[in-house]
Amino acid sequence: MSETNPWAAQWFNAQQQFVDAWSDMAKSGTPGNGSQSDLWAQSFDLWRNANGAQVQPDFQQAMDKCMDMGKGYFAMAEQVSKNMSAGAEPAEAINQWMDQLKQSLQQFGSTPGFDGSAINGFMKQWFNPTSSWQQMTAGMAPMNQGAWQMPGMNMPGMTPSFNLGEMIDPLGTMLEAPGVGYFREPQAKQQKGLQLGLEYHQANQAFNQAFLRVATESIQGFQARILKVDAESAPKSLRELYDLWIDISEEHYAEFAMSEEYQELYGDMVNRLMIMKKHYSEIADDTLKAMNLPNTREIDTMQERLQQVRRDNFVLKKEISEIKSLLKQVMAKPAAADASVTTAAAPTVAPAVKAAPAVKAAPAVKAAQTVKKAARKSASKTTASSNTTGKPAVTAATATAKKAAIKTAAPKAAPKKKPVVTKASKGA
Amino acid sequence: MSNFQFRADQVVDEMVQFNQNLSKGVKNLLEADEISSGVTPREEIYTEDKLTLYRYQPSTGVVQNRIPTLIVYALVNRPYMMDIQENRSTIRGLLDSGQDVYLIDWGYPDRADKYLTLDDYINGYIDRCVDIMRERHGVDKVNILGICQGGVFSLCYSTLHPDKVKNLVTMVTPVDCKTPDNMLSHWVQKMDIDSIVDAMGNLPGEMLNWTFLNLKPFQLMGQKYVSMVDIIAEEKNVKNFMRMEKWIFDSPDQAGEAFRQFIKDIFQQNKLVEGGLKIGEHPVDLADLKVPILNIFAEQDHLVPPAASKAMGKLVGSKDYTELSFPGGHIGIYVSGKAQATVTPAISEWLNKRC
Repeated sequence: MSETNPWAAQWFNAQQQFVDAWSDMAKSGTPGNGSQSDLWAQSFDLWRNANGAQVQPDFQQAMDKCMDMGKGYFAMAEQVSKNMSAGAEPAEAINQWMDQLKQSLQQFGSTPGFDGSAINGFMKQWFNPTSSWQQMTAGMAPMNQGAWQMPGMNMPGMTPSFNLGEMIDPLGTMLEAPGVGYFREPQAKQQKGLQLGLEYHQANQAFNQAFLRVATESIQGFQARILKVDAESAPKSLRELYDLWIDISEEHYAEFAMSEEYQELYGDMVNRLMIMKKHYSEIADDTLKAMNLPNTREIDTMQERLQQVRRDNFVLKKEISEIKSLLKQVMAKPAAADASVTTAAAPTVAPAVKAAPAVKAAPAVKAAQTVKKAARKSASKTTASSNTTGKPAVTAATATAKKAAIKTAAPKAAPKKKPVVTKASKGA
Repeated sequence: MSNFQFRADQVVDEMVQFNQNLSKGVKNLLEADEISSGVTPREEIYTEDKLTLYRYQPSTGVVQNRIPTLIVYALVNRPYMMDIQENRSTIRGLLDSGQDVYLIDWGYPDRADKYLTLDDYINGYIDRCVDIMRERHGVDKVNILGICQGGVFSLCYSTLHPDKVKNLVTMVTPVDCKTPDNMLSHWVQKMDIDSIVDAMGNLPGEMLNWTFLNLKPFQLMGQKYVSMVDIIAEEKNVKNFMRMEKWIFDSPDQAGEAFRQFIKDIFQQNKLVEGGLKIGEHPVDLADLKVPILNIFAEQDHLVPPAASKAMGKLVGSKDYTELSFPGGHIGIYVSGKAQATVTPAISEWLNKRC
């Protein structure tokens, strides 16, 4: 590896040094200063930034997630082992670690604009839903990222992590001011957009804060569970401890996710985002219209009409196909009647057998198959009707099949039948 | 509290091992080749818009069921899950047990497909694929195997076109979406679907992904990646892990109008159970569904709880209705070794008895 990928070799060496240092620290019982897991993460980030392009794109995301979760796992190991090295019993060490996590959450929770994305380390997992929501919707929600830089909004000292709660009231008042004059309508639309943006952010904050509360509750739940655990089911390794934490967190999360509260919060957040998104799309449409460029409203209209034309087209094609089929039957009927009379006079199946080569000899095999099927259909219909005419069913069917086969196997008929499948296969 | 036995040096040893595995895993990832999606040879039979109908190369030396089987997969994920790797392929299992397998690949809808409705999918695309199969094989009816959302489509199709369906197999198919354990359905009840479709046009695949992953975020976004370190330390596991990883994040956008109707009618209004479902102008009443049905569900399915699938039994009019319970999850039912050994042979046996 070192020959083919020197950067990787550097990272592997750094990892080895880190593990050795950590191992010495733990064995000597010295708690040590600073976070070793931070060093571990930093060394990887350094390596990744320099070397990221060498990993296949399909693998990059998985590797990033693996390293992110690895950081959390390392943080957990480090904290527990530090507490134990400082003299705490394992259970006490875990409890101390949990208390530290709670404190950390309280700190982050009081940060203006908290969405969980700033949380690193072990508790990051609890905020994957909220932080991934922020990432996913960043491109969808115009107010999420850039709108606060609009003229008049970019106040001195204002950072992206503004305290939304403090801004709602003054902004709300400002946004209620009626527009006047020639630009009254565009102004009103912009005001409404900002209002919708604020409403979405409020809904988003309520969702994030609920996560914060449930995450804190889950820590307490974990501590309570640890107290009750018996010798048999007690974790015997760090991994087992981690898995237990996952199970308990998932239980708490599921209870929250199945609650009325979650349904309301999530629904409200999604709905407000969509209302805002639609509003800004309409503003963009107005701008495009003013520039004599096609907008989404016009494209939607065209697409809807086109889709209806395609549906009608398929219906028409099907009807034409059925009409052709009926036409063949109608054309075959007089001949079938003749054949039936002949057959009645001289009951033999020989003519039908003789007719078969004519079908096989048709130039297009596909056409021949199609024709055969038409013949079969025709035959079965005749069979059904034969009960009412009182004619021998098998005889009539055979004769009809023979006539239909002969008729439709004619060279001119074959190309006409073929496109029924071929056209459809091209999805006209 | 005193029940905990592990020591500080033990924790360090575990982390040393973890780190060694991580180093090996990163090395394996760096050296791994590109991954493919789908492994069994197949032939393109028909294309229309983004749709492709494939026929898989039949296995040699096997007595073939004369009735071909059409797999109708969900729109929300890609169908190569059915054929993910050599030794974990439901399709390979079906071929080896004598089925003639066709599959609809819905492709990746884009903005041009926004106005596709459930009627377009069910009475349009599926019906045309079925007609082509009937034509090719000279049969009146085909077997249909519907997967998840594709199972709902298949139920509707079989109800509306009984003259073209010989047997119906449904796998992890939601029917009753108001069971108390259905998290996915619980989440969408207060969502304004009209607002979503009107704002977004098509529903982005990323939003679906977010939803699916957040049904079990600790397992699917946390624990899995810690476990990944142990898995990818073995070179032979890297590709298999990454194939699955690729599939999980490979969610096509959803055609807006079809999504609107599916969520409103199936999830919010539970019309398969409550009644009133219409596909286009055609009412769908499962009591009219009389074809033989094999309904397969997964006992640990977090996306489609067993109760959601089992509700089918009381609603359909079929007198030949069989349930098969699989002790696993929504994905394991296709890719686990246990599923390969039990579920796929059971499907074939059931179909072969009814050909």
